[in-house]
Amino acid sequence: MTITRINIGPVHPSTHGVIRLVVDLDGDTIVKVEPHVGFLHRGVEKLAETRMYMQIPPYTEKLDYVAPLAYDEAYVATVEAALGIEVKERAQYLRVIELELQRIASHLLGIGTLCNDIGQMFTTFMWAFKDRDMVLDLLQEATGSRMFHVNMRLGGLHSDVPPDFVDHTISLMDYMEKRIVHYEKYIEKNTTFKERMVGVGVLTKEKAIELGVAGPVLRASGINYDVRKNRPYYVYDKFHFNTKTLYDGDNFSRYKVRMLELKESVRIIKAVARAMPDGDALGMPIKLRSPNPVNRIAVVSRELPRGECLLYMVADPQKPYRLSIRSPNMINLAAISHMAKGARFADLFAILGSLDIVMGCIDR
Amino acid sequence: MVKLKVDRDALLGTISKMKSEGWEFLVKITAVDYKDHVDVLYIIRDLAKSKDEILEVTLQPTDLWLPTIFNIHQSADWYERELSEMFGVEIKGRLVPRLFLEKWDGIDPPLRKSFVWDSTYRTSDDKQ
Repeated sequence: MTITRINIGPVHPSTHGVIRLVVDLDGDTIVKVEPHVGFLHRGVEKLAETRMYMQIPPYTEKLDYVAPLAYDEAYVATVEAALGIEVKERAQYLRVIELELQRIASHLLGIGTLCNDIGQMFTTFMWAFKDRDMVLDLLQEATGSRMFHVNMRLGGLHSDVPPDFVDHTISLMDYMEKRIVHYEKYIEKNTTFKERMVGVGVLTKEKAIELGVAGPVLRASGINYDVRKNRPYYVYDKFHFNTKTLYDGDNFSRYKVRMLELKESVRIIKAVARAMPDGDALGMPIKLRSPNPVNRIAVVSRELPRGECLLYMVADPQKPYRLSIRSPNMINLAAISHMAKGARFADLFAILGSLDIVMGCIDR
Repeated sequence: MVKLKVDRDALLGTISKMKSEGWEFLVKITAVDYKDHVDVLYIIRDLAKSKDEILEVTLQPTDLWLPTIFNIHQSADWYERELSEMFGVEIKGRLVPRLFLEKWDGIDPPLRKSFVWDSTYRTSDDKQ
């Protein structure tokens, strides 16, 4: 057996960010993959120790720059848990709508780039980006910003939504329902797509638990764990939705879980938007002094588009003593060595694409 | 969430026993530097019951080492590397490549409170 070592990166377009993969090959078969990370390391956990509580969201948002609002909410929820602040009822509904809109935008980008990476299905990429843009427009309507919203405030939101926001949301979700069916038909009938996805990069249920993977990667391997369902927060437990679990653990299952989650997100948004109560949704304005913490330690778990993010915070008055972030992307990437072993070299990019990682979140 | 204090010597036994009782999912290994001691936290989950438990090991700054739990939970791999680089905790029992995220050489571990912000720090590449 002759081993050939190939160095991929430090840049590759199938990831959102910068990564280096050192691949050992026997002919065309992968023997070993060693990911090298840290190129986007900014020391956010250390920076958080030097900033006031509400000066930190702009940093945490940029961890996962494909789903910034989700990280924004996860961090603010941790601070709320430490300071003992209740979130207003209308704000809870609006947060759920915004988080699910963010999930749709993020999954569309993941599916679009995956299709582009594996078979030059550039059409899907363009469709996904067009639809994602419509979701971002809606988020802009709600938050005032297209990409980095910084919309969460302690106990609520920075601003309430405009009066016609609910109508716009429901009509966009009606449109999105049709589009998702369209995507499924187009993508899943494509022979190239299926050949490169079905049965490739398999992660069994036992191995998924052993490697501790998160989110759609975990659910594609047959483990029914979703923070929204297992430890409901806000108003998730008031509305019926399903956790989508598949059992093959291959690339196709990981893609399909995301596709099914899109449908569930549309369902959640419609139900929540119709049931949204009137009232005040505004949180505390940003000011340098926030209330003193009632809990020294706060642990908060959130289902981000890419998996479960767990934040562990030791709270001091006015600023965190320590903020620790469990990145779902990091643990999913660590599993690539196992998934790619024995696969063909060209399949490595399909596997990487199916993980849908964002390097900013891994490197922190 | 239950927090359980564990001695370093009893760590491996406790984690193995927990794994056989259904606590089979390692969520995260992290640490907090309280200046006079460092707490290392192992967050472990029972997926079936959807419950988390935190194991807390207290280490003295002069005696910072831990046995690896890689043989029990493979997901500990990158967390132990991060712990080693960011907190200077030596992981005994397996070869842990020292540099992971920062790739800085010969400085205090960055997430320890003794780390001082200073523009004079350079990466190993800069020194060459």
